[in-house]
Amino acid sequence: MRMTKLALLNFKNSFGNYLSLVVSMAFTILIFFHFQNIVYSDSLAVLGDKNKNYTDIVVHVTSFVLVCFMFFFIWYATNVFLTKRKKEIGTYVFMGLSNQKIGKLYAIETALIGASALVFGILSGMLTAGLFQMILLALSDIAVEIDFHFGLRPVLITTGMYLTVYLVFVLKGYVNIVRSSVLSMLSGAKQNEYVKQKTRVLFLKAIAGTGVLGTGFYLAVRESDDGFNVFGNLFLAVVLVVIGVYLLFGGLIPFIFQGLAGNKRFLYGKGRCLWINSVVFRLKKNYRTYAMVCILTLCSVTALATGFSMKQRYDNIRIFESVYTFQVLSHQRGLDEKIRGIIEEDTKIAYSSEIPIIALRGDTVVANENYGTYALAAYSDLKKLAGDVGLAFTLKEPQSGQVVRASHLSLFTLITDRSHISVTIGGKAYQQIEETNIPYMGYLQDKISFYVVKDEEFEELASIGEKVYTYNYRIEDLSAFGAVKESLRELMADSGDAFIGTVSMDPSKDTMEWIKISYSLCIFMFMVFILASGSIMFMKLYNDSFEEQERYLVLRKMGMSDKVLQKSIANELGVAYALPFVVMGISSYFSVHALELMMQADLRIINVVSVLAVLAIFLLCYFLSVSVYRKNVGVWEDRRLNCYHK
Amino acid sequence: MNNKVVEVKNLVKNYGAKDFQTKALKGIELTIYQNDFIAIMGPSGSGKTTLLNILSTIDKPSLGAVILDNMDITRISNRELSKLRRDKIGFIFQDYNLLDTMTLQDNIALPLSLSGVSPKACIKRTQELSGMFGLTEHLKKYPYQLSGGQKQRGAACRALITNPEIIFADEPTGALDSKSGRELLECLKKINEEGRATILMVTHDPFCASYAKDVYILSDGMIKCRVSKGGERKEFYDRIMDVQTSMGGDFLCE
Repeated sequence: MRMTKLALLNFKNSFGNYLSLVVSMAFTILIFFHFQNIVYSDSLAVLGDKNKNYTDIVVHVTSFVLVCFMFFFIWYATNVFLTKRKKEIGTYVFMGLSNQKIGKLYAIETALIGASALVFGILSGMLTAGLFQMILLALSDIAVEIDFHFGLRPVLITTGMYLTVYLVFVLKGYVNIVRSSVLSMLSGAKQNEYVKQKTRVLFLKAIAGTGVLGTGFYLAVRESDDGFNVFGNLFLAVVLVVIGVYLLFGGLIPFIFQGLAGNKRFLYGKGRCLWINSVVFRLKKNYRTYAMVCILTLCSVTALATGFSMKQRYDNIRIFESVYTFQVLSHQRGLDEKIRGIIEEDTKIAYSSEIPIIALRGDTVVANENYGTYALAAYSDLKKLAGDVGLAFTLKEPQSGQVVRASHLSLFTLITDRSHISVTIGGKAYQQIEETNIPYMGYLQDKISFYVVKDEEFEELASIGEKVYTYNYRIEDLSAFGAVKESLRELMADSGDAFIGTVSMDPSKDTMEWIKISYSLCIFMFMVFILASGSIMFMKLYNDSFEEQERYLVLRKMGMSDKVLQKSIANELGVAYALPFVVMGISSYFSVHALELMMQADLRIINVVSVLAVLAIFLLCYFLSVSVYRKNVGVWEDRRLNCYHK
Repeated sequence: MNNKVVEVKNLVKNYGAKDFQTKALKGIELTIYQNDFIAIMGPSGSGKTTLLNILSTIDKPSLGAVILDNMDITRISNRELSKLRRDKIGFIFQDYNLLDTMTLQDNIALPLSLSGVSPKACIKRTQELSGMFGLTEHLKKYPYQLSGGQKQRGAACRALITNPEIIFADEPTGALDSKSGRELLECLKKINEEGRATILMVTHDPFCASYAKDVYILSDGMIKCRVSKGGERKEFYDRIMDVQTSMGGDFLCE
């Protein structure tokens, strides 16, 4: 029989066994295809060029993450396949086949599995592409008519990317088989000898892991007033947490379970003997998978928190920009009535305010964050403005030598420690006692760094800058924006030097729509990671169940009731799912807290919700795993053991 | 007279469809009393494995009854069967069947631990039995660190730990060298003589069978004869050999 024919026969016969692998790989292809489709479709063009560019960058970054994800996923899937097939194809040695031929057989079979995953993935991707875009845009709150057309490019890119990664691993498997000894192939699945790990090694790993993870957590939440430091800390924190989680699963957790297995008084109680020993055994084999799943779920929770904080931030920025529709700047006071008259020719005014500020020259201010443009406002003027506009005002009154900063909102901030900030204005040092993000000065506050000082000090500092009167208006009918803008332009032109300029906030302008897409993508990443973690765990346990068949047959022959065995399986798999979940739950507190500091947002609820979402998916996978596992090891059917004699 | 432990009545087992039936057992009658040590011998295809499978509740007969603990085990529910297997029957398999994921001590204690017996009692009983089988110093080892004989003695300890009414041993020395086989058989003989166990052993080895008190020779699905131990083991062995020889070539060639 020719190799291809034999491989095809094997593939046909064992397709059912590998269906879960095919489905998982097809899922990664589907997700990747959806993202590529977004990049190359015109559905986002409506957002305007600037937004489209930003969105493309975000989608490309996401695609990169997905390629990495695909890489690890295929690596894992082909590895599972190789271990499962090694023993089986090892018997071909006795038929006189050379390692090269067996390797070729494996490569053809794996390629067939890969090809079916690709076809399945692309086809389902094509069928669901429209749905994906619809959900993405609906989540992003962007109204676009979805075009269900898709081009050839996303298909080619997805296929190319997948095949490249896949072929690398098929080749790796081929080389592995060619280099394998006959013995290792025949005992492919039977390398379970060393169950226990050396306690001393585990203890050292446990100490190292706890230390590294603790340091990672500390660095993640440490506040700093130096942006560069924060960035460095965060990067280091991510690296340390990854290493720490790995060491935790390879050190502390097996150390604890080996300790439990060693304590016979504990072990022999309540049927723990079977499942605790199984957990010890599985931890040695699977700790890398558990660590990977833990990190993946941690990424998913952090991705969701990032998405939500970006949304929150975006909404706040929008509020910032829409406080006033027009802000007129002038050297003269008392122009309110004149401007008001002009605006009211076109529309009513919802609210307005007037405040004098001192525009400072850049060289007169020395501050930590260099904004370039600074201005001062008097405390009581700002208080009056808040009253006129209807904004909350709870700022403490600065004393001499003190300032309150009215700053703008940005998407990210790397300065997480805002206490003990001092600023030098006109050669005198001021202590910053408070900072507010309430948009008292509207768009101006977004562009200029405002310091609120004591009234007397405001007058004293007038000499080092230029006093400017700002007249701020919010119009009721936003459709009159164009007309009002034109009237104000005419006013400026007719009034000579009286006016410095006007800031007009076009309500229809939307240059930050890309943030909404990023937000939706974060939600998708959350779902992708969470489903990937669930399916990796499921696949791992599914694979393990085949190795356990013999063990459970022995137990059943010994007369262990199905009920006892089912309970033991439930406990063992429960621990397998619980360990990554618990470690992720604890770690997520720190990662989300770090994000809270950067985004200046309260993400506690998001943290809890996303952890609960992971729990829901894990519970689903857990019940599925338990049922499949029971079926595979034969403690499912209520039947006699006819398989007693081999 | 001792108490009956197992009573086999007119046991018939047929394999295959109606027109092509193979009769594996043709009406076996057998009574096992407390503290018996019975060996079942027979050539290939004589039905000894089928008989053991039915006696140990792993298979069902086509006809007849097996009474164990006053219950006909061929008619009870699977739940009761599991309980029976766990509490009343001990198994020793040819290939040890120790779980490679746990230490010898845990392997021995497992049936008791899963029955809900207190950990203290589990530990005590494990130490007692392992002492009896010369395994005390090996308790912390994993199966891969033990020799075949140690593994099989461990399996015997595991079979005995629940104080079963009867132990079914399927070719217990089949995978052992002669020294390890002898050690195991001495242990089984000892616990039987001390009144701790009733044993039914399936074997094709006359030497192994000579450690039993009674040997039943099975042929063509029927018990052909019974050889009982009188005096010394050596003399018993010779008599078994004589019977075996008289029964013909197919017996010997196994």
